[in-house]
Amino acid sequence: MAAIPTLLPSHEFREALRRRGGDTASRCFQCATCSGVCELAPDEAPFPRRLMLLAQWGQAERLAADPAVWLCHQCNDCTVRCPRDAKPGDVVQAIRALVIEKLAFPGFLGRLVGAARASWPLLVGLPIAFWVALLAATGHLAIPVALPQHWAYEQLVPHVLIYSVFFPAAGWALLAAWVSGRRFWGLLAAGGPPVSFFGGVVPAVSEIATHKRFASCDAARPRRFGHLTLLWGFVGAAVTSGLLIVGIYVQHLAMPLALTHPYKVLGNVSAVLLVIGATVLVANRLGDGRKAGAATAFDNYFLTVVALVIVTGVLSEVARLALTPEFALAVYVVHLGLVLCLFLTFPYSKFAHMLYRSLTMVHQLGGAEASRS
Amino acid sequence: MERLGVFLCSGCGIGEALKLEGLTAIAEELGAAACRTHPCLCSPEGAAEVRAALDDGTVGGALVAACSARAKVEAFAFDPTRHAVERVSLREQVVWSHPAGDEDTQALAEDLLRMGYARLAKAGAAKPLAEAIERTVLVVGGGLAGLTAARTAADLGHPVVVVEKAAAAGGSLAALAEVVPAGPPYDTLHANPLPGLIAELTANDGVRIFTGSTVASITGQPGQFHVTLATPAGEVALTAGAIVQATGSRPYDATRLGHLGYGASPNVVTAAELDAMLAAGGLKRPSDGAVPRRIVFIQCAGSRDPDHLPYCSADCCSATLRQIATIHHSHPEVETAVVYRDIRTPGQLERFFLAVQQQPGSLFLRGEVASVSGNGRLEVALRDTALGGDAALEADLVVLALGLVPNSADGEAIRIHSDAVRRAEKGESETQREEARKVAAQYASHQGTEILHLDYRQGPDLPALRYGFPDSHFICFPYETRRTGIYAAGTVHAPMDAAAAAEDGAGAAMKAVQCIVAAERGEAVHPRAGDITVPDFFLQRCTQCKRCTEECPFGTLNEDEKGTPQLNALRCRRCGICMGACPERIISFPDYSVDAVAGMIKAMSVPEEVEEKPRILALMCENDALPALDAAATLRRGWNPWVRVIPIRCLGSTNIVWIADSLSRGIDGVILIGCKSGDDYQCHYVRGSQLAQTRLGNVQETLQRLALEPERIRVVELAHDEFARVPEVLDEFAATIEGLGPNPMKGF
Repeated sequence: MAAIPTLLPSHEFREALRRRGGDTASRCFQCATCSGVCELAPDEAPFPRRLMLLAQWGQAERLAADPAVWLCHQCNDCTVRCPRDAKPGDVVQAIRALVIEKLAFPGFLGRLVGAARASWPLLVGLPIAFWVALLAATGHLAIPVALPQHWAYEQLVPHVLIYSVFFPAAGWALLAAWVSGRRFWGLLAAGGPPVSFFGGVVPAVSEIATHKRFASCDAARPRRFGHLTLLWGFVGAAVTSGLLIVGIYVQHLAMPLALTHPYKVLGNVSAVLLVIGATVLVANRLGDGRKAGAATAFDNYFLTVVALVIVTGVLSEVARLALTPEFALAVYVVHLGLVLCLFLTFPYSKFAHMLYRSLTMVHQLGGAEASRS
Repeated sequence: MERLGVFLCSGCGIGEALKLEGLTAIAEELGAAACRTHPCLCSPEGAAEVRAALDDGTVGGALVAACSARAKVEAFAFDPTRHAVERVSLREQVVWSHPAGDEDTQALAEDLLRMGYARLAKAGAAKPLAEAIERTVLVVGGGLAGLTAARTAADLGHPVVVVEKAAAAGGSLAALAEVVPAGPPYDTLHANPLPGLIAELTANDGVRIFTGSTVASITGQPGQFHVTLATPAGEVALTAGAIVQATGSRPYDATRLGHLGYGASPNVVTAAELDAMLAAGGLKRPSDGAVPRRIVFIQCAGSRDPDHLPYCSADCCSATLRQIATIHHSHPEVETAVVYRDIRTPGQLERFFLAVQQQPGSLFLRGEVASVSGNGRLEVALRDTALGGDAALEADLVVLALGLVPNSADGEAIRIHSDAVRRAEKGESETQREEARKVAAQYASHQGTEILHLDYRQGPDLPALRYGFPDSHFICFPYETRRTGIYAAGTVHAPMDAAAAAEDGAGAAMKAVQCIVAAERGEAVHPRAGDITVPDFFLQRCTQCKRCTEECPFGTLNEDEKGTPQLNALRCRRCGICMGACPERIISFPDYSVDAVAGMIKAMSVPEEVEEKPRILALMCENDALPALDAAATLRRGWNPWVRVIPIRCLGSTNIVWIADSLSRGIDGVILIGCKSGDDYQCHYVRGSQLAQTRLGNVQETLQRLALEPERIRVVELAHDEFARVPEVLDEFAATIEGLGPNPMKGF
């Protein structure tokens, strides 16, 4: 007889899943109602039923390689319809958290962020403390005496300090994401048909830009709106940051920019989008619990950091225009710390879904592309 | 009966649709002693008028021409031991189903009145049985079903005798400490109720339990079963009124499931062996006595497999869950995996399944087991798993959830075997003896399997269904077997789990008590419950052809040495199948006989050929076809007015002389409508339609010899709910007959 794989259940995985809020997986009796109601599950490889069984048997390796984990947008149609109250939406969410941890590079950081329930003060506090220390060491913790009435933050925290922290931090995050992404892509591709990466990128980007798939999750319409708004808000903020660098070093614009300047307008529009998006998402999380799914610490950590980044960002601008410089500096330091936290934990927090879900879409669409050509 | 009274009802539209004076004229023409019309005969005043006429002797029998015999039963219930009463269905069969004031409608009503009168003329008062009836219930098998039956019968005030083959009562569940939950919230094991039940019954003076005992013989009939038990203390004789057979089941032979490794490794055990191991207080791997770390349960071991047991054994899923719950309680570190096709936990046991499934070491996987190999450490190879494709599981212990096989005996097969053995010795020719030897060899496995040892012509045990379970009419009346007063319960009856077996025992006991009470009243049991008439055998004319003893579906008739039928009236269900079988027409009931129906056929008007109106006789079964006809009438669905309906007790009671009489009278077509036959039969008397088909098949050959078209006779099977089809069937048959032209025998 040809060798067949021996199925060894992992109780460690089951325990980890339980800790991450996926303990209801053991209630699943494989009726497939979830796969039936799921709008996103492809006919030829329906989910989440399969994921539930893999979770019961603790098949961590197979879950890490299963694209279905990332094709789910957690509309929770399945959770609402499940006759056994096994909450497939929550289980798949917990699986995603475990996959992020499993594929993290280096592993200990994955475990650290994975344990956000306990480690969050460290994750948030350390970057803020770092900024406080950096400013103290460089003598920027005090307000300069000759601060004009229309001051810019550059006069409080020199740009060079910002570049010297955020360029390495972003580089590190990209490196870690690159390593994890390579691991994940290898798992997706293993044993499968050929996939055209570049063939998949264009349709995937177009899907992500419009949240086309998210739209078929009827039940999650408000979440889709919030998520899409937030995404474009971040894109706008990132573009603004790039434009400002051009403005400062190429166009030699004087800071602060007038509120009517196109860059300022873009930045403020992005801020409005971010505030709207975050408000919708937070309201959704606090609202219909069953539809929103279980709130795990891992999730709340990420959502809270994002919300606070937005709040402190907006508040920094308001403080600069209307409040005291002392208060503005305090808010700005916290903002810088939170942004650093977001950068550094990107590959290990829920933020990493951006990496894995995008890769999964590229893989799926690239596969379709490859089979067409 | 003489001095017959005709009581016409003009209510429910009868008076408006028909010319009642025409009907009155016919009653006079027939010589009725009285003929009265009432605007509402079923009212207390109307019924009182009939009763008064019967009571004061004005009339000896009453013909109630009103609604269907199935309606207003209580209003028209008169003492059957003193009076004969017949009903004519003017409402359903005439005015609700045919146009008012029409010439054909009036002719139909007049014909039905003549026919009813003819039937009443042949009817007599019933002479009820008055036998000494024993109230004891005999329970064969002292497991959960049997003991629950015993308790139920005892609670109803009946003495009970329980016979148990094993040395102690309790059956297959006796040794268990805990059983699947029987009450809310259905998520933890419950204490085994059997020890308490045994103690309760032991303390009950009305219940005698014979352990280590079997039934040696049973003669007689319900109310008078003479039972001999073989007990450790010698033979015990007793009389019982009714019997519950709760002989349970046994696990399928695991050695026949070679691919599952039973016998090849000591670490492959059956569920029963695991139960014994747990009862003995230790979870041990047989090969070395160590506690197994991984246990794999294989469901449907033998069940739902055309090569082994084609049916679902119903108990194995909940039994496996029970074992897992027990193991996880004492050994939380043990991992259990269940390989299944479906987990079947009907009713509230689904909650127990959920509870077991949520335990940390509890795993389930749908798939087929390809093989179990290895010796110390076992490998279970799986096909088509729900995880996709093949997989293997490691196990220290493999448990086979074996299907169940009923502890039953096929009475008919045993009889075929013993008859063949006799013929093989005493057959007239060598060919016959050779043939008999072949049959005997074919049925040899049934030799010596008797359980009830019934002294019945048709075999010593209940007849069996396809998979060896005793026959029962599982669609309509699940406890009825083909032996009146004997009821199967528990896993011998059908595959079921413990809770269902207990309920089944209670149900069977209630049927047993019902049978005893009916016997005390001299009444038939289901389906003619309450009927006190008894068939009369005019034995001087019997030719010992044995058709009645062979064809009775209920084994009512025994034979003496010459083959003369011996009636056991308390076994009789009053279907009349013997009456239909008898070529000498010597069997009749006071209110139902070959003669009476022949009289009705004779009383029908048969139009001359020139009238171009065919006459059609419809013999319709009272159980399914007639209710369907009434339902069609209630919905005002009409049918061909040339049809004359005669209700009969069962299609099997059709005597072919009725067909011959009809055709020779010039009736153009005869249609028989009865219940569904076959494996999922709905015939209340098991094989009425089947017998009618066989008998009519013979008649049709005769018709061809007489140059009559065989299409003039038709047998139709119809279910109770097919009322929409009845008018269609009748109309279509009428069209066929019209197409054939008049019966050439007309006028002879």
